[in-house]
Amino acid sequence: MKGWQASPRAKRRGRLAVVLCGAIAAAGGVPAHTDEGAAAARIDYLLHCSGCHRPDGGGAPPEVPSLRGPIGSIVGTPEGREYVVRVPEAAQAPLSDDALAAVLNWMLREFSAHTLPEGFRPLDAEEVGAARGRVLSDPLRARARLAGGYEAGVAGERGRH
Amino acid sequence: MNDVDVRRATVARWFDSVTRRTTTGLAERTSRRGFLGRLGGVLAGAGALPLLPVERAFGAEESDDAPLPAGDAPELVGLTEFGDPQSCDYWRYCGLGGTLCACCGGSESTCPPGAEPSPITWVGTCRNPVDDRQYLISYNDCCGKAVCPRCFCHRTVGTKPVYFASKSNNILWCFGTDSHAYHCTVAAVIGEVAEDDSTAETEAAG
Repeated sequence: MKGWQASPRAKRRGRLAVVLCGAIAAAGGVPAHTDEGAAAARIDYLLHCSGCHRPDGGGAPPEVPSLRGPIGSIVGTPEGREYVVRVPEAAQAPLSDDALAAVLNWMLREFSAHTLPEGFRPLDAEEVGAARGRVLSDPLRARARLAGGYEAGVAGERGRH
Repeated sequence: MNDVDVRRATVARWFDSVTRRTTTGLAERTSRRGFLGRLGGVLAGAGALPLLPVERAFGAEESDDAPLPAGDAPELVGLTEFGDPQSCDYWRYCGLGGTLCACCGGSESTCPPGAEPSPITWVGTCRNPVDDRQYLISYNDCCGKAVCPRCFCHRTVGTKPVYFASKSNNILWCFGTDSHAYHCTVAAVIGEVAEDDSTAETEAAG
């Protein structure tokens, strides 16, 4: 029996498949600051958050708060960092601590980069895991109490346009 | 017989002769069967034209008079699809509960005229059988008109019970619109899921 010989075209296809598989394998669990991580975080945003906050983060105020601006200004304090994790739809999202941290960091950079505090340290899985267990029962009240204030951020954003 | 009557009779004779020459000439040069045959050919040909296969990806291209897609998420362009958007089995509707806008004067991703797309919605995933890949589907309700009673569908891929509100298709998603009256639902493709995204896979299986 004649042995099987790959044609040059089949060999090229094989190499392409190896490269693609490698890229797919590498995408698993990469941090959000890489391109692959940002792509995964964006997909998680679209799947779990964009239904209400809308794909461009604009929300539908006053029912659904905008993410464009104010969330950057409230993560300057420890309470603010916890707040973005403890709002019910974030805390209860069907995502691992890693993936939730990645999607929150992606949102902060994508929608609120201009209001992020200087030297902002991205949220990590550990602090997200610790905070999400304490879901906020009254997010609006918690938001009004935040230093800097979400409303101040919204007002600042209005003045910007 | 006065002058006027004579002139009238002359004009009438001239008209008669022109008409006779034209109709006789037409009858000599053409055949009735030939005309009927050609007319039949044109009618049958015109009927067959829209049945020719058309690549649906062209439908995603924007044109000035195209209705705006529901919601504000841009539809994924260049998607290859197969199936009948007026059937509940269409791949995009894997988590849709409601009536199909495609049966009510809209399309699988645009509201019928006069209905307002809800900006707030829920997002799930469906597998496209053409390329076997998972896509993000935004199920926007179209609101502001009485319910369209055609094509009611209830499919549950990726949906959760109503206590998990953000993934439930039992909710009428007419929020942020002028009217809360539910008309029908569209399924817009807003992105593609990487094959290794475990979250989306879980959603699809759940």
